[in-house]
Amino acid sequence: MKFTRTWLSVVTVAVAVIATACGGSTGTTTNPADQTGTLTVWLMNGSAPQSVIDSVNADFNAKYPKVTVKIEIQQWGDIGTKLDTAFGGSNPPDVIELGNTLVAKYAAADALENISGKKSSFDNSNTWLQSLTDSCTVNSKLYCVPYYAGSRAIIYRKDFFTAANVQVPTSMDDLLTVGQKLMTAHSSDPNFSALYFPGKYWYAALPFVWDFGGNIATQSGDKWQGSLNADSSQQGLVKLQNLVNALSRADKTGDEAKQDAAFAQGHIAMIIANGWEVGVITDPKAGNPALKDKLGAFPIPSHNSGQTAPVFLGGSDLAVAARSKHIDLANAWVGMLTGQKHMSDMATVGGVIPNTTSLLGLGTGLNQVFFGAAKNSRFVPNSKNWASVENANVLPDMLVKIFTKQQTIPDATGSASSRITSLLNGGG
Amino acid sequence: MGMAVAAPDLEPVPPFSPSRRYRAWLRGNILPYALISPSVLVIAGILAFPLGMLVWLSLQHYGLRELIHHAGDWVGLDNYRAILVDPLFHQVIVRSLLFTFACVALTVVLSTLIALLLLRVRSAVRVLVMSSLVFVWATPVIVSVDIWQWMFDYEFGVINYLLTQLHLGNFIHHNWFDNPVQGLGVLVVVVVWGAIPFVTITVFAGLLQVPNDVMDAAKVDGASAWRTFWFVTAPLLKPIFLIVTCLSTIWDFGVFNQIYVMLNQRPSSDYFTIAIYSYRESFGVTQYGLGAAIAVLMVLVLVFVTFFYVRETVKVAEIA
Amino acid sequence: MIAPGTAQGIRSGRARGATEVNLRVNVRQHVTQALYDIIGVAVAVVMLFPIYWMVATAFKPGRDILTLVPKWFPAPFTLQNFQDAIARPFFLDDVKNSLIVVGVMLVLALAISFLAAVATARFGFKGRTAFLVMIIGVQMVPLNALIIPLYLMLDSVGQTDALPGVIAVYLAVVLPFMVWTLRGFVANIPAELEESAMIDGCTRVGAFFRITFPLVGPGLVATAIFGFIQAWNEYIVAYVLLSSPDNQTLTVWLASFTTNHGPEWGPLMAAATLTGLPVVAFFLILQRYLAGGLTAGAVKG
Repeated sequence: MKFTRTWLSVVTVAVAVIATACGGSTGTTTNPADQTGTLTVWLMNGSAPQSVIDSVNADFNAKYPKVTVKIEIQQWGDIGTKLDTAFGGSNPPDVIELGNTLVAKYAAADALENISGKKSSFDNSNTWLQSLTDSCTVNSKLYCVPYYAGSRAIIYRKDFFTAANVQVPTSMDDLLTVGQKLMTAHSSDPNFSALYFPGKYWYAALPFVWDFGGNIATQSGDKWQGSLNADSSQQGLVKLQNLVNALSRADKTGDEAKQDAAFAQGHIAMIIANGWEVGVITDPKAGNPALKDKLGAFPIPSHNSGQTAPVFLGGSDLAVAARSKHIDLANAWVGMLTGQKHMSDMATVGGVIPNTTSLLGLGTGLNQVFFGAAKNSRFVPNSKNWASVENANVLPDMLVKIFTKQQTIPDATGSASSRITSLLNGGG
Repeated sequence: MGMAVAAPDLEPVPPFSPSRRYRAWLRGNILPYALISPSVLVIAGILAFPLGMLVWLSLQHYGLRELIHHAGDWVGLDNYRAILVDPLFHQVIVRSLLFTFACVALTVVLSTLIALLLLRVRSAVRVLVMSSLVFVWATPVIVSVDIWQWMFDYEFGVINYLLTQLHLGNFIHHNWFDNPVQGLGVLVVVVVWGAIPFVTITVFAGLLQVPNDVMDAAKVDGASAWRTFWFVTAPLLKPIFLIVTCLSTIWDFGVFNQIYVMLNQRPSSDYFTIAIYSYRESFGVTQYGLGAAIAVLMVLVLVFVTFFYVRETVKVAEIA
Repeated sequence: MIAPGTAQGIRSGRARGATEVNLRVNVRQHVTQALYDIIGVAVAVVMLFPIYWMVATAFKPGRDILTLVPKWFPAPFTLQNFQDAIARPFFLDDVKNSLIVVGVMLVLALAISFLAAVATARFGFKGRTAFLVMIIGVQMVPLNALIIPLYLMLDSVGQTDALPGVIAVYLAVVLPFMVWTLRGFVANIPAELEESAMIDGCTRVGAFFRITFPLVGPGLVATAIFGFIQAWNEYIVAYVLLSSPDNQTLTVWLASFTTNHGPEWGPLMAAATLTGLPVVAFFLILQRYLAGGLTAGAVKG
């Protein structure tokens, strides 16, 4: 790094700009009331309701009156680029909300503070959702605190089900039968989908793989092996392909971003969705509030009748930057937001799944279904290289190739598996 | 940043014969160096370090961990070797060149036609066309690409609806990006649409400078419109066509936003152009060394492709 | 809008000639004229349609936006999207930031590029060709590839999340083609004019400021517009460098309308319309200078 350092010093001298001084320093005193400084927190657009944030900050400032908390809401587009540069810089934010599939990448690169020793100081750390805790754990060390989760279930139109005289399906085969009946009942509508499934929607494809015992990759020692081409994984994908072929008129190469808007148009009977998407569908401005009483939800059924399929647990974690100058304050703030009081607010006001099983009972109405689904949830391979797999679009590309019949399932899963093996083991 | 600007500087700069006093004054003067020094200082001061670091990065194994620790492993030319044997890279280069050629050719031809049209339409129509160009130009690329993406959408897209209503076929649930050739065609449309205002306005400005008597003389000689353009107008506009083609090639070869946004920030490798490929290696799989090497190769290819144009452009810009 | 006077001159001159020839030719000319006008309108319609779609959407109520059968006109009509957009936090801050960034950058860039333009248009000096090649060559480097180096450099001088850092980057990126453009405008003003003024007793500098500077004014305006559009619409550098919401520019603010479940189309389109307005306004205010500005050669006459 000689080159850079020399250059940097040259530039520093040459460009004599007035550098803004960073916030005050954390005193070594133990008295919270005397601590000073500015705590910078990055939260993602749409993660927590403003009322919850305000309440956390109020509590925090009651304890640390001289500390200023600066909440900076970040946008989703290109967030990886922004995080890479910020962690590479000398002054990263103190607290960062990270999507749970991103934690391993930054933890492995030493960007995040190891908080293993402080785990017990966080509320409910014994009952944190297992999948979220897994996402925070890299090489048996804890690098973040679970924040909130999202799990998927099937949102359906109760009125369509009643009209077609079908019941909530109890198995994957049943799902196909129910869907086919709905397709028949709406055969005059060229836009109708009984189960609307955009081709790139890999989060919703995983339950089918997992339900048959398949997986994305398995780990032995420190080596990963892609396993989407295993028989069990392929079985799940065959099942899914049959459903998509028979029931979906969604874009086979599209993603799920517009599925709520599509659902609100009234030509769809079922989508696989997060709990908060109910709110998007029935939004008074952009959605269709008339659907409010017509929506129901049920968990994705297993191929074994009466059981449910494991779902992908999405969500966010809160991490503290290793280069933070206020590590203790940062941990204190994280502790407050993820503590019992504010997690309850997140569940009731925000309607998202809280970080602990002990609060899953707070789900009301349709949310009960989604909160319940979190109990049977799984996570992607917890490797620092997982973000590379996501960014290389391996799973969406594979699904698109399967659904558009460009490749057979054995071919598509075979090449995806070898790519995953290579990427997870640090190759290109 | 997408667009830039060319000077409507017309050849031939009339050969003037400066007086002896003026010439003497020019010779051995430090004034020109004083005048360009602020530009050189700004460009070098702000871009020299990043450019140097880009080249330096391309010689390192440099991932996220290295970025955070500010310490890479020197690997010499390994990154370049890895890229040059990668079949994907060859595809990407060929695709980028074809894509650039299509965009530049269409942009220049369509813009010239529109500029010629502007000379002939009544003034109200001219104001209308000019306004439309300004509006297109004023719209931020990130917004206009959002609009295009939506217009070409699979189920809510107005294009599919319109084509079906016009009985040009059944485009209900037509996916434009299913087939990469068609998808890249759509992207060419989006890029050309955004590039037309600048090129049209520049060429139009040039056309206005073609002296009336030259055109009239050609008319009296009974030359057809096409011959007048080809043998009279086009040679006079050569400097403008040169710079416009040169800059369009540079921008279109580096096209990023259009492809990135149209394909939901996750283009499949069928849609990789070289700028996307470099960005993906850097920020997608955090191989900054590889990404930097691709960017360096991209500049080299561009230098090779535009060598002739740049030489001619700079030659034209020589003063008498 | 730009309505260059010269062009009108050409056209009306030709039209006047046409009335003097016989009727048959006249009819044919009318048909041809109508054909050209129709093609012209068609071009404008095709170019404008995406913009129309944006503005029309901005006035549509949410439920009319994503429909399987598109609604061509915003009826019913609503201002709700604009209210939502303006009410979005930090709108005014970000407008202010964008104006500061673009304004400061433009003033600096115009001054600096004008000097270099004069040097390269008026003087033959050693290194001139090298300078011109650099001006073109610098534009070949993809900005995206420079994000990390730029960030690290600005970080080392404490200028991340600060407007001066963004201004500096924009300046360096916009400067090359501003120099090139202005060079063309200056080159098109005959040096003989200055020379004769010098013979009349002006100093070199005096001649330059009395003769050339006023004539190059329109060129400065045209160049300013180009630079304005460039900087106003830039996204990725502003996004990576600026983290505090009250420190960001309008394009970053625009990104806040795209959530993790897709764009909020109505408010996004309203916000985009608002973001584009200053550019159009800038154009409108300066268009009378631009008429000459885009036709620099006219002064050569």
